[in-house]
Amino acid sequence: MTEEKLQELLQEASRSWRVPPEPRVGEMWASIEAAHFDKPRQRLTPRWWVLVSAVAAALLFGVAIGRFSAVDRAAQPQVAASHAGVAEPYGTQTTELLGQTAVLLAALPREASQGSGQTRFAAQAEQLLVTTRLLLDSPVASDPRLRVLLEDLELVLAQVAQLPAASRRNAAELEIITDALEERDVVPRIRTAVASLSGDN
Amino acid sequence: MTGLAIQPALVGGTDEQSIITRVLDGDRGAARALYEAHVHRVHRLVFRLCGDEDLTHDLTQDVFIRAFDQLPRFRGEAAFSTWIHRIAVSVTLNGLRKVRRLRTRELSLEGASHVPDETSAPSDPELKERLTRAIEALPPGARASVILHDIEGYTHVEIAVMLGIAVGTSKARLFDARVKLRQALADYARE
Repeated sequence: MTEEKLQELLQEASRSWRVPPEPRVGEMWASIEAAHFDKPRQRLTPRWWVLVSAVAAALLFGVAIGRFSAVDRAAQPQVAASHAGVAEPYGTQTTELLGQTAVLLAALPREASQGSGQTRFAAQAEQLLVTTRLLLDSPVASDPRLRVLLEDLELVLAQVAQLPAASRRNAAELEIITDALEERDVVPRIRTAVASLSGDN
Repeated sequence: MTGLAIQPALVGGTDEQSIITRVLDGDRGAARALYEAHVHRVHRLVFRLCGDEDLTHDLTQDVFIRAFDQLPRFRGEAAFSTWIHRIAVSVTLNGLRKVRRLRTRELSLEGASHVPDETSAPSDPELKERLTRAIEALPPGARASVILHDIEGYTHVEIAVMLGIAVGTSKARLFDARVKLRQALADYARE
C-alpha cells in the first residue's frame, strides 16, 4: 500500500465514510434546555465556601508577596518577563498547583489500584480542583497553553474527586482516568509548563 | 472537507459574541440560535468519531450542555466553533472509553460462545470495509488524528487545540497512524 493510494482512499472516505444521519435537532434541544436552563441553581455548601475562601486567601497572600517582592527588586535589573504575561504571584500559584497535581497523578494509578487512599486522593483532587477553577478565572488563563492545560486538569481532577463515589466501579474508572492522562499527554505537559514557569521566575 | 477556519463567525447576521453575551444573560432564544448554528457540525464530528447514531445523539447533547455550563469561561480568544469542537472531541473520547468498558464487561458476561472470531473476516473483503476496520483498530489518539485530519479536514493547529496536544505531537500521531493503516492494508497492495 503506497502513501498515494492511502491518501486516495482517505479522500474517498471523507465523502463516504460514516456519513452522519440527520440530527434530531428539536429532540436534543429539549434535553439540553431541560438540563441547562431548567435545572435548579446549585448552592455552594459551607464546605465549598471554606475551601474557596482558603484558596482565595492563598491567592491574595500570593499577590501581596508578589507586590512586596516587586518593591524589593525595583532597584535590580529585570532579567526576564513572566511566562507569557502571567504575573508572578499567579505564576507561583500555578507552579504549586502543577507540582502538587503531578505528584497526585503520578501516585494515583499505583496506590488507588491497590485500594488504598482513595478518599485521601479524592479530597486532594477536590482541593486542587478548586484552585484550578480559580486560576482558570484568573489572568493565568490568558496564556492559551496554560488555559488548555488547566482545562484538562479540571476534567481529570473532577474524575479523581469522584473516585470514592464510584467505589464499585473503581478499577474501570481508574483505567478511564489513566487512559485520559496518557492520551492527552497530561503529565509531560505539566512538566513542560512547570519548567517554563520556573525558568521565567 | 471543511476545517474550522471557514466556520461562520456570524449567526444570522449578528455578531456571535453578542449572541454569547445574551446567552450568558439567560436568553434562551439566543442559546437556541447558537445551538442551531453549530449543532450540525458538532453532530457530524461526533458521529465520525464514534460511528453510532444513538451514542452520537447522547454525546451531542452532552457537548452542548457542557458548553453552556462553561460558557462564562469562554473568552472569545479563539472562535466559538474551535472552542465547542474541542469540547466535542473531549466529550466523545471520554464517552467512547466508558462505552468500551461497558461493552467489554457485557461481552465477558455473555460467555465464550459469543466472543467474535477475529479471523472470520471475509476472504476477499471490500477495501472500504478493510479501511474502516483498520481505522477502528487504531489507538484512540491515532484514530482521532486520522479522522480529524484526513477525513474531516482539520489542520494540525486546530487538532492540537482540540486535543490539547502540541502541533508536533499531532503530526507524529498522524504519521504513526498512516504507517499502521498501510500495514493493515498491505495485503491489498499485493492482490
